Amino acid sequence: MGKLTIGCFASLVGSLNLDFAVKLAEAAVEKGHKVDFWVSGNGTMLSITDQRSFKDYSYLQERVKNLISKGVTFTACEACAEARGYHKENTMEGFKRHSMDWYLASTFDADRVLHIGGE
Amino acid sequence: MKLAVFVSDYRITVNTLERLKPEKMGIILVQNGVYHAAVKENGKTSPILDLNADFYALSEDLETRGLDPSKIDSRVKVVNYGDVVDLIFNEYEKTAWL
Repeated sequence: MGKLTIGCFASLVGSLNLDFAVKLAEAAVEKGHKVDFWVSGNGTMLSITDQRSFKDYSYLQERVKNLISKGVTFTACEACAEARGYHKENTMEGFKRHSMDWYLASTFDADRVLHIGGE
Repeated sequence: MKLAVFVSDYRITVNTLERLKPEKMGIILVQNGVYHAAVKENGKTSPILDLNADFYALSEDLETRGLDPSKIDSRVKVVNYGDVVDLIFNEYEKTAWL
């Protein structure tokens, strides 16, 4: 089994990229792989707690919580989050916040990296 | 190098893909990229499919767009998320996202 690092940049909640990346992470975990998941830019919106579910609208919070419980490390760019007013106190439990050094380090010891650029 | 390229858009020029010269290339069509596997313009299939590569399209993204996986171009293999994970780990060494 290997380690997959997914970097998702500049995607808002509801974006196709974030949905794809979370579903790919689920499939990788299902197959026994370790997954690191990095979000930066608008993607840091994924880390906010108390997201509300609407019919026919992407809702990833429960899936992210489930993946965290299965050992996936979700990390948000701290500067990107703070710039958007997302603070530590309204960050989902278990969702880490670091500088981009964390992402760089994760990619260095990953077996595979999928870097998804901005939309 | 064995390279898997994710194509997530339909209105993409093939120029970038043509410049890539890996030893082996897989093109994984996701999101709106799956239209490359199904749509013909003026009777012609997408020029992406003429590249020297293996082609895959994500079944969920086909179905979301009302595209019948059994009716896409015969050069494209339909895959699910689990298959994509296997492609990433077993068939290709690097990935790129377009």
